[in-house]
Amino acid sequence: MYELENAQAARRRKIVNVIMWVVLLVLFIAFIFPFIMALINAFKANTDINRFPLALIGPRKGFITSNFPTAMEKMNFWGVFGNSVIITVSATVLTLLFSGMCAFVVTRNNWVACRLIFALMIASMVIPFQVLMIPIVSIYGGTLNVLNHRLTLILMHTGFSVSMATFMYSGAIKTNIPLELEEAALIDGCTRWQTYWKVVYPLLGPTTATVAIIDAMAFWNDYLLPSLVLTNKPLYTIPIATQIFYGSMGGSDMGCVLAALILAMLPILILYLVMQKYIVEGVTSGAVKG
Amino acid sequence: MKRNTMSYKIRQYLMFAGPATILFCGVVVIPLVYGFYLTFTSWDGISKSKPFVGITNYIAAFGDGAFWVAMGRTLIYSAIAVILVNVMAFLLAYMVTRGIKGQNFFRAGFFIPNLIGGIVLGYVWKFVFNSAFVAIGENLNIGFLKNSWLGTPSGAMACMIIVAVWQYAGYMMLIYVAGFMSVSKSLIEAAQIDGCTQSQATWKVIVPLMRSSFVQCIFLTITRCFMVYDVNLTLTEGGPFNSSVMAAMHVYRTAFTEHAYGTGQAEALILFIVCAIVGVTQVYIGRKGEVSA
Amino acid sequence: MKKFITAIATVTAAALAVTPVMAATDLTVFNSKSEIQTQFEEEAPVYSEAAGVNMEVAMSNDPVITHMGTRYASNNPYVLSMVDAKDIYSLTPEHGIDLADTKAAADTDYAIEIDGKVAALPFCIEARGIMYNKTAIEDITGEEFNPADYATLDAFKELLDKLVDGGMDAPVAIMKEDWSLAAHYLAQWVEEQEDPEAYVEQLVAGEGDIINNEKFNSLMDTFDVLMEYNYAKDAAVNADRNKSEDMLAWGDVAFMFGGNWDWSLIVQSESDSEMGMMPVPQNTDDGTNEKLVGGGSKYFFIDSSVSEEQQQAAKDFLDWMATDPDGQDFVSNTCALASPYKSNTLDVSDPLSVSVKAFADAGNLINNYNFFPDDHITKCGATMQKYLGGEIDREELANELTEYWKGAAVIEH
Repeated sequence: MYELENAQAARRRKIVNVIMWVVLLVLFIAFIFPFIMALINAFKANTDINRFPLALIGPRKGFITSNFPTAMEKMNFWGVFGNSVIITVSATVLTLLFSGMCAFVVTRNNWVACRLIFALMIASMVIPFQVLMIPIVSIYGGTLNVLNHRLTLILMHTGFSVSMATFMYSGAIKTNIPLELEEAALIDGCTRWQTYWKVVYPLLGPTTATVAIIDAMAFWNDYLLPSLVLTNKPLYTIPIATQIFYGSMGGSDMGCVLAALILAMLPILILYLVMQKYIVEGVTSGAVKG
Repeated sequence: MKRNTMSYKIRQYLMFAGPATILFCGVVVIPLVYGFYLTFTSWDGISKSKPFVGITNYIAAFGDGAFWVAMGRTLIYSAIAVILVNVMAFLLAYMVTRGIKGQNFFRAGFFIPNLIGGIVLGYVWKFVFNSAFVAIGENLNIGFLKNSWLGTPSGAMACMIIVAVWQYAGYMMLIYVAGFMSVSKSLIEAAQIDGCTQSQATWKVIVPLMRSSFVQCIFLTITRCFMVYDVNLTLTEGGPFNSSVMAAMHVYRTAFTEHAYGTGQAEALILFIVCAIVGVTQVYIGRKGEVSA
Repeated sequence: MKKFITAIATVTAAALAVTPVMAATDLTVFNSKSEIQTQFEEEAPVYSEAAGVNMEVAMSNDPVITHMGTRYASNNPYVLSMVDAKDIYSLTPEHGIDLADTKAAADTDYAIEIDGKVAALPFCIEARGIMYNKTAIEDITGEEFNPADYATLDAFKELLDKLVDGGMDAPVAIMKEDWSLAAHYLAQWVEEQEDPEAYVEQLVAGEGDIINNEKFNSLMDTFDVLMEYNYAKDAAVNADRNKSEDMLAWGDVAFMFGGNWDWSLIVQSESDSEMGMMPVPQNTDDGTNEKLVGGGSKYFFIDSSVSEEQQQAAKDFLDWMATDPDGQDFVSNTCALASPYKSNTLDVSDPLSVSVKAFADAGNLINNYNFFPDDHITKCGATMQKYLGGEIDREELANELTEYWKGAAVIEH
């Protein structure tokens, strides 16, 4: 009787899974559709893109690959790519370090400063960037004159992203890290600093991976802040460099836009695929230890 | 070591939160204060002089009908988008954590929209709505696809919402996935041994434990939808006939296109306050009675 | 902790190490004409080498004022900036220098003077009108297309009917972009007035009597015809600009209202059609239907806060662009634009600019009115979109415009 029920449940579960799989596939295609369009059209001439967006091969000018070298040359691809990598990697690492630490002290202590900074950080997530734009360039350009350094942008990126990262780490610490664990570490003679790095931080793996990918993406794609901070051409990042393909009046060089889009997306896509594996591993290893 | 002295607290705080606090204050708090000061000037954005004018800009902002229309529109857009994004994201997360074949592949796929930035994203979708959908409509003779949806006010709004769901569902899915996975397996097994079916286990055990994921996701979607600008600019350009101008875009136009920097800045602060109230209230309600593991 | 601080210090040092190197005199140039950014970037090292400066050209797709505002706020202005004529009036009184002592200023009739000073010099001549695809028209009519024969709306409409009969279902494309509708098409009604300044004063006072204005009605009559033959008639407010330009290039439509700047898109279509520009047809005999609207465009000014060497380097560049054979070649051939400088007699390589130059040389340009209020494009553009989409009729259009103009803040000049 018990076994029979089990078999039935298993069969039902199987059917549900097949239905879900189909639903997921349909949604997947819908989600991926714009990219399929981008990919197909990146290999077509502008006239074919504008007039035959669905054609796999352009009826007028045929299959072309010239959009890629053209786009790469016009945006000085390898130069801006290097800048983007330096900035994204440094800012992501700093964000992960600073916000995890900040979240730890803020979540575990009910001090005034902690509550204040946490409230400010939450509130700051809803500030329209336009409000800060002019003040930032006035202060850091006009008064301190530190614009046009990669470091300035890295620190600014970090400053902007610590609030959300702290918010996410704080949620993870609150729900996933048992207080008893920290108390045990304390009894074993760990300082708070050691407790954090040796006990807490390793358990935050999934959150770290999530924050890393989200922030890395944001830094990689950000246009507005880098365009304000880095005005010297040798310092340009990928999003600033791609601006050249957009006309200021609504007309653009779609072939190059799409080629540049694919070029800019690939590195971050690879990073995500690597990270995703880590997210899964992080969760399992955390579960085993916990 | 004494743990309740002031110097201990200060040292602890600086050691852990010092760098974050300094950077955060440097790029957010201080510029915000300066920006707040600018709302009391009649600066035009380019001039060297910034004459002090008191609260004139706030009076102008409150009297700017178009701003409040844009604000109302943003509220409606945000309300619909937040619900759809989160429903979609939760369902996706649920489906890709059941252990079905290729779930990692799906997870990657749904997240891909986040890999491109707002400006490019708007261009690609404009291309899809204007060219691809219309071409499909013409080829397959599907009436409602033949004319681009971006051509009517309600259509443009729908496009904005579709793009929001497409853009954020994968992102929020990731947070929900983390939530699903952080609920320990033993808890679920315990529930199942106690006679729960899988869906019961999901709704009665997992979901309540995922409260913080919900709080995070809803907060993030609310703030992002409120602040929408990039996609607004590149996808609809505010059109047709300014019917899709959202609050942030209106602010930007007032400050820069119309040379009323102070007024634009004042409107931006009002937008910020409204959004902060909505967001923080949501977090407060959500956090109240949070289940801690 | 120590290790950690060392790590941070290392990152910091590494990032700081990569600071830009300063060479000769820095000549930073802002280019607001994005379609020629590539040409500018390719020319910069060549010019730098020849003139012994370090020229760097930047562009931005943000509104000019936004971008300039951030540069001023950060104390980092461009030495030389190319902006639209209307921006000159708000920027140069505080930020510009007098350009009267340049060779370029002596060589053009299109300089902008403010308070007796030469505030800005143009990069090119640009004009708007109806762009046509000559090849496509002649393929259907079988006879030589001479645009001057279609100066009146009646003649133009007859031709459109002929094209329709000949198999071109809808011979017209209309751009739905607010800047095209408001700043270009709608503006013409003001610009065609005998005294635009006086008329604008009337408008601001609420006495423009728009609905009974002869020019307004004449131009809107033409617009109605354009709308009637628009290929995207069913969804006019959503016509895609890239697609429309391509249709014009390939002769799927024969006419589109626009200007020589559209060439940058048309050229991407790689068709071999013969193209040109003609005045907007109108049933009038006062000659306005024989002229394009335009003049000097994309104005350069030099920042007053930069060093004297930099100012001189910028002046040298302006003289080079106007009078040096290489500079003239850059404007006319590389950028394919009509030069506003008399000493430049080169033929232009872009057919639309050929038309512009022909009309300009013959004195057949109606002047731009450069003082429309800052919100004119967004607000009146929306109104025109409503008209284009059939949401409002001409009377409602006139009413909305009357409302808009009442007390509107015209740019001080």
